[in-house]
Amino acid sequence: MGLLSIIRKIKKKEKEMRILMVGLDNSGKTTIVLKINGEDTSVISPTLGFNIKTISYQKYTLNIWDVGGQKTIRSYWRNYFEQTDGLIWVVDSSDLRRLDDCKMELDNLLKEERLAGSSLLILANKQDIQGALTPEEIGKVLNLESMDKSRHWKIVGCSAYTGEGLLEGFDWLVQDIASRIYMLD
Amino acid sequence: MEDDEPSHEGFATETLDPALQKKHHDMLERLSARHQSLKSDSHDSSFSSSTLDSTSSFLSRFADSKRSVESRIAESRLASSSSADSSKVKSDLSDISLAIDNLEKLLAENSYFLPSYEVRSSLKAVSDLKQSLEILSGELIPKKKFSFKSKSSSRKPESKPAEIQKLNVISPPKLPVRDSPGFRNKHGETLVKSFKGSSIGEFTLSDLDSCQVKLMGTVNALFLHRLRNCSVYTGPVIGSILIDDVEDCVLVLASHQIRIHCARKSDFYLRVRSRPIVEDCNGVRFAPYCLDYEGIEEDLKTAGLEEETGNWANVDDFLWLRAVQSPNWSVLPEEDRVSSVSISGDGDY
Repeated sequence: MGLLSIIRKIKKKEKEMRILMVGLDNSGKTTIVLKINGEDTSVISPTLGFNIKTISYQKYTLNIWDVGGQKTIRSYWRNYFEQTDGLIWVVDSSDLRRLDDCKMELDNLLKEERLAGSSLLILANKQDIQGALTPEEIGKVLNLESMDKSRHWKIVGCSAYTGEGLLEGFDWLVQDIASRIYMLD
Repeated sequence: MEDDEPSHEGFATETLDPALQKKHHDMLERLSARHQSLKSDSHDSSFSSSTLDSTSSFLSRFADSKRSVESRIAESRLASSSSADSSKVKSDLSDISLAIDNLEKLLAENSYFLPSYEVRSSLKAVSDLKQSLEILSGELIPKKKFSFKSKSSSRKPESKPAEIQKLNVISPPKLPVRDSPGFRNKHGETLVKSFKGSSIGEFTLSDLDSCQVKLMGTVNALFLHRLRNCSVYTGPVIGSILIDDVEDCVLVLASHQIRIHCARKSDFYLRVRSRPIVEDCNGVRFAPYCLDYEGIEEDLKTAGLEEETGNWANVDDFLWLRAVQSPNWSVLPEEDRVSSVSISGDGDY
């Protein structure tokens, strides 16, 4: 209890939030981060390792950890779980074949105790692509309704290509974290 | 303390000035006053509250209480054998239970100064008393009254299967099956598709064997899955290409991003804006893009791929993180490369 209150106080002073961004490879994680930070998204290589981006969002400072999603490096996700306030799970809504992979990896992630208290934002990315599944369909495939009742979560359709939906998703996530950590001060 | 004072003072007069001496004296007085008050405090408390000051006084009081509880348990057992007044038995038992609780409380309040051995043995005594009370109440009160206990013990193992059941309910999700546009399950065919004027966003090539595939125009996303002995020629892809499980293929591709998983003995002719990656690949070779069809310049411009970036040779191998060249891929020697490939939309659409 003592440690937790100290952490809370430190975070309160700095208004910092730690956000972990994961998902299968090719889902658009890095593109989302760069897009929301207003950077050029025309040349992005698949992430070998991870990127950290610190951005000011409303009155908060977001530390976004964008961790590569290739199969070989998924096992390293666990190294980034500690002290995560918000979790963003990015889905390639046009990749129908790997949706079951996507569900399996998400289920594994949510079993993780260190992520139990973090708010979960699911971004159904690539909505600009004709034929992509809608956020509602993705929600059904991922069986989100059966998630633990204590989890704060939301699914938002977005396109990192056009930028649509990103702000809606981040607004929700930041508000949700703020109401938990800072009690909406 | 008072006895010591003269010698202290005598010593002090030699070394200290009068002001300090006065201070010293005052302090000694305060100390002695405090000592007195502490003494009387502890004296009072041993009578007024359960907080005791010494191990021996605690032990004797604990032993008294313990004996009294024991004798009351024995009495109840005797009394019950003669009279069968269940309500009296019940109130006796609850009185005893209360006495045990008080004993436990006494121990807890004084545990801070007790030697750990005494704490442990006293705890043991309390739990022994509780147990004998439990046995007694089991004997005296008809079993029906005790259903509470058997219920609670049977409930515990029940709760676990319930959790497991809940998990099982969650696990089998039903995926909505919807096929995206694409070529699937073909053998030995030439497959041609033009995206010009179509609204197709993503396209899939899957389970093809010994096929020649020609794709013209731009598309947002391309998925290649399980291709054997195929030649694939595609116009520029605006988003990304994801390749999984290809063998003995020649692929001529242009895209923003290209990811290659599980490819064996295949040649890739690429134009990519970012660095292509390979994972679980073996014997794959790379060369620059070499496709031509009518209108390809315009399509390349649309996809932002009109210029050669040289990235076709900047391959990242996720299973080879050392500085030396990965053994899993190589640059295709120029003499082994095909010259420019020209395709046209003369096939079936």
